[in-house]
Amino acid sequence: MIAMHGPAAIAQSTSGIRGRLDIRKLDKPVERRPDVAAPGAAGPRDVPDLRRGVVYLESAPRAAFDERDPGHAVMDQRNERFVPHVLAVMVGTIVDFPNSDLIYHNVFSLSRAKRFDLGRYAAGKSKGVRMDRPGVVRVFCDIHSHMNAFILVFNHPFFDVTDVEGRFELPSLPSGTYTVVGWYEGEARVSRSIFVPPNGWAEVDLVVP
Amino acid sequence: MQGLRCIGVTVLGCAVLVLAAGRDAGAQILPEQPISVAGGHVVFGAEVSATFAPDDPGFFNYTSYEFSALRNFRLSASTEIRATDHVQVLGEVRFDQGRVLEAYGLYVRVRPWPARRFDIQAGRVPPTFGAMTRTAYGSSNLMIGQPLAYQYLTSIRPDALPGTPDDLLRMRARGWLSRFSVGNSADAPGLPIVSTTKWDTGVQLHGVTGMLEWTGSVTAGSLSDPRFRDNNTGRQFAGRAVLRPNAAMLFGVSASRGAWLNDTLERDVAGDDADPVEQIAFGGDAEYSRGPFLVRGEAIRSTWRMPQFGALQLQEPLAVISSLIEGRYKIVPGLYLAMRGERLDFSKVRGTAGLVEWEAQTYRFETAAGWSVTRNIMVKGAWQRNGRDGGRVRKDALVAAQVLYWF
Repeated sequence: MIAMHGPAAIAQSTSGIRGRLDIRKLDKPVERRPDVAAPGAAGPRDVPDLRRGVVYLESAPRAAFDERDPGHAVMDQRNERFVPHVLAVMVGTIVDFPNSDLIYHNVFSLSRAKRFDLGRYAAGKSKGVRMDRPGVVRVFCDIHSHMNAFILVFNHPFFDVTDVEGRFELPSLPSGTYTVVGWYEGEARVSRSIFVPPNGWAEVDLVVP
Repeated sequence: MQGLRCIGVTVLGCAVLVLAAGRDAGAQILPEQPISVAGGHVVFGAEVSATFAPDDPGFFNYTSYEFSALRNFRLSASTEIRATDHVQVLGEVRFDQGRVLEAYGLYVRVRPWPARRFDIQAGRVPPTFGAMTRTAYGSSNLMIGQPLAYQYLTSIRPDALPGTPDDLLRMRARGWLSRFSVGNSADAPGLPIVSTTKWDTGVQLHGVTGMLEWTGSVTAGSLSDPRFRDNNTGRQFAGRAVLRPNAAMLFGVSASRGAWLNDTLERDVAGDDADPVEQIAFGGDAEYSRGPFLVRGEAIRSTWRMPQFGALQLQEPLAVISSLIEGRYKIVPGLYLAMRGERLDFSKVRGTAGLVEWEAQTYRFETAAGWSVTRNIMVKGAWQRNGRDGGRVRKDALVAAQVLYWF
């Protein structure tokens, strides 16, 4: 199992880039479609956590492409919500989609980076998908149109999903100049060029207006 | 002219959607999720569909709004106002064939206890009866055609009556317009078993307890003729219960009873003291789904009692049994194949030529494929075979295409 932090595989780092992705205006969660044809209101659901973005290097140092075992990651389906809402993984990672609800879900994606449809499966079951190309994979549920999530697939390990306060770390970077990209809800919203010294951290704050 | 109006309305509808999307420059042109304003208290959604097919000379797909369900431009816009945790107002307006229809649905929903799934809805409420009412929405219909029980028009009408059994039998197998000698003598569409082109007006209760979901309603019209203003003194009482023993299965039963004939007409023929003549219907349905498969079926028995007057002395009500089975298989991500087989079997009445079904036995087989271009844009193609044992056109085969967009 890999963590959401891609660079975790590169341990004991003393240099890299860290900082904060400052999201000034959080997107609103997707509402349920007005279901005028329903004889009653739907049950309660959880709303996704939209406070997190992803920070990554536009291009990575050559060593980043060494063979690694990408392992598994998990995107749960819980109370009509994908958890986490944003997942960042390396190419080759198998993302498991357990169904923790008592109702059916049908996870699918029509994204160029990965097209899949896991069909309907019940509570307690799980199905996995290998992410074999870099890109953004938008994930939906065929039954619950308000359920959506993102999987960002990278061919290098220099990415990080921010914490709820926007903090991120990209450790173990050789000295050099890099372009750091801040991504939020489907789009690369901000980028900045930054120099990483030979022994030390470069600090950067990225603002998503 | 009507075609131009349809295109005009479709273009207008698309323009509205584009303008709505303009607030989000940089994203895709059309919205891909419901538009919410006022902090999520007001949510807008829409569905646009364009359906193309050759002429349907047997009128197998005509609806009570006088157009074929296979040749239609439709924009339906829905709004949900979430006033409080207890109160919501929901409405839907549809533009079909370039004509602005009355508010398709408009009602207030009250949830007395927010933590409990129990709702009271009052106004022009969605249908209570049946499992396939959502097929009126293209995005909820595996096929392009609607199920026969929810669309195919029989000959009987709420504003006209046959003077004799032979009058009734002369109108069998029309599929669309009928004409009788008593009451309104003009040509007009007959009634389907269950109408989804209009919604009824009244009060609806709905609750969910564990694996059981139930709905009950008291409304103005009847199952085959929902109404905004009642045309008789009878009310429709309808109920539906759905049991979900597990996520894969669903079993449902439905029942409805309501006066279907115009009061004025009934008084004219049967006197002031006559009880309202009623449509009574029972239905059962089941669904099973797993992985890429989905199978569902529904059977409905409906009867319409006729007033007895003059030479029309039908002791038994006119009856019909509808049976339907459909299935879907997802071939690859975004592409499915589906099939539906269904038939309507009508009871017999005695005319001068002997016992004859009062409407022609009718069947339909349809196979369709759907391709999701994006999550909310779909293209469907279908081949439909219709047949019945009477009428000017007894069989036809149609190819249809549909483009759907919704958010």
